[in-house]
Amino acid sequence: MLPASFRPLVSLSSALACVLIANAAQAQPPAPPPSWQQGRSAEQEKSPLHPFAPHLAGRAVKDLPVNTLKVPAGFKVEVWAEGIPEARSLALGDKGTVFVSNRNAKNVYAVVDRGGKREVKTILKGLNSPNGIAFRKGTLYVAERHRITRYDGIEASLDNAPEGKVVVDGLDPQNQPGHFWKFLAMGPDGKLYYNVGAPGNIVMPSYFQAAISRVDPKTGAVEEYVQGVRNSVGFDWHPKTKQLWFTNHARDWLGDDSPNDTLHRVAKKGVHFGYPYCHQGDTLDPEFGKSRSCKDFTPPTLKLGAHIAPLGMRFYTGKMFPAEYQNNIFIAMHGSWNRSTKQGYNVTRVTFDAKGKAKMRPFLTGFLQDEKADPPMWGRPVDVLQMRDGSLLVSDDYNGILYRVSYKKK
Amino acid sequence: MSDKSSPTRGGAAAAAAFAVALPLFFCARAIAADPQVCAACHGPEGNSVIPTNPSIAAQPAQSITLQLFQFREGNRKDPQMTPMAANLSNQEMNELAAYFSKQKAAAPSHKTSPENAAAGPKLARQFNCVQCHGPALLGLQHIPRLAGQQFEYLRTQLRGFKAHTRADLDGNMTAAAEVLSENDVEILADYLSGLTPSRD
Repeated sequence: MLPASFRPLVSLSSALACVLIANAAQAQPPAPPPSWQQGRSAEQEKSPLHPFAPHLAGRAVKDLPVNTLKVPAGFKVEVWAEGIPEARSLALGDKGTVFVSNRNAKNVYAVVDRGGKREVKTILKGLNSPNGIAFRKGTLYVAERHRITRYDGIEASLDNAPEGKVVVDGLDPQNQPGHFWKFLAMGPDGKLYYNVGAPGNIVMPSYFQAAISRVDPKTGAVEEYVQGVRNSVGFDWHPKTKQLWFTNHARDWLGDDSPNDTLHRVAKKGVHFGYPYCHQGDTLDPEFGKSRSCKDFTPPTLKLGAHIAPLGMRFYTGKMFPAEYQNNIFIAMHGSWNRSTKQGYNVTRVTFDAKGKAKMRPFLTGFLQDEKADPPMWGRPVDVLQMRDGSLLVSDDYNGILYRVSYKKK
Repeated sequence: MSDKSSPTRGGAAAAAAFAVALPLFFCARAIAADPQVCAACHGPEGNSVIPTNPSIAAQPAQSITLQLFQFREGNRKDPQMTPMAANLSNQEMNELAAYFSKQKAAAPSHKTSPENAAAGPKLARQFNCVQCHGPALLGLQHIPRLAGQQFEYLRTQLRGFKAHTRADLDGNMTAAAEVLSENDVEILADYLSGLTPSRD
């Protein structure tokens, strides 16, 4: 028991403490929304739309409607390999090994074809979102969230992978939520190109974000290549012009039909494609675009559809498909979540007319079952890979399956 | 290095570990996909009666597979679950998940305090629980059911996410739990574990 003279002081201090606690409670900011909800308007607060996660352990082909997949006449689609957790980016080794990456599974897998029977091996473990992979002259390059490493001579030791050597580190200094898994490809200049996406749906990026950069694997020197790219998860170089083309995901929560996801061509280093100020080359962002003009940014070559989620893309240069497929682009459309009527979930072919005007045509479809259902699809294409015989592999991260599309002249 | 310097000791230790592991391996292998093995710790039909162990009945199948996968791959670690998941095939994980997802959730044994029953719904909105786990907190696809989950289990997971020690698929739960006070964790766990799993 405190002496009587202390009591008023105690009660005063406890009253003060109460006020402080009450103030603290009032001052407590509302919890930030999950990153996929960032930029949602008040009217959209009750929206049932949400992203879809892959079945990480994969699903068995026998349980899936793979026979409903459709390809153009003369083409054939079949399952090439299954049981590859969250199969995403694809890379082809010199000896025919197909390397397969993922965003969440932390491993890199290799598929080895032994006389038509395919064996799946886990070659690297415990990586940090190893979405980006590229292969050149015996070396596998892996882009994790924070670094790019090289594995020399890996095809000779798939069961005992060599220690990775760091090409560049420190690519993710903030370690916050956002689009920080990377796509990786080696350009005709021998440099590794990778994206660092925007840190949220619609957020002012910092200097190294919302950009495609490149690093020289010989020196580790990094330079920013292009800016204003919200999130590119697929690029390739035109076989003739050697220019970089890439797919880009536009922002969410501006409605079902706007803005479009886009296909871009890079005419020169240093250009800005608009994010976060201008979307699809002609639509100012309601928040960040207020005092800007779309004229200041490089527009896309083609609008692909809103929320269609274009991922891997490659120019076709193989000898198997008909001649008109030469230098066409195949784009894997992962499919929409932020749209009340779903679209995408296919592989689309982009053709060019004599004037160079691009046009989209369906190539591999049938993954989308019910555009109003949740989930609307049974599979999701992520990347495309041209094999040596000219056939096309397609990865499906939702089920952990690789499909092969081939063509036979009648 | 130590393996090379003392091959005999290393070899003996390995042999001993092998001798212990071998019967366990075959045992686990033979009955790996038997739901009764899971029920031994997760309760009859997956309705846990042990406060630290989660109920897996009426969880979305994809959410069960996801966690089994994370345990098998070493992304999420637990002294009991890591060895249980180590030998499961993808197919076995999917089969177990399908089985438990179809079991009926039991009424919760936990009784939420009246204060937390009143404070819980507001916190569940404020901290975005309902944004991903659904308005009735029953989970969806890869996202687990929270309504009627074991109190102690929920509290431990929330503390783990907050401390960045609990495996997280995409960072959403870490971001959500980071802003919780220890008191919020207590209220949410008390509220959620006493909720009757029901769509009404």
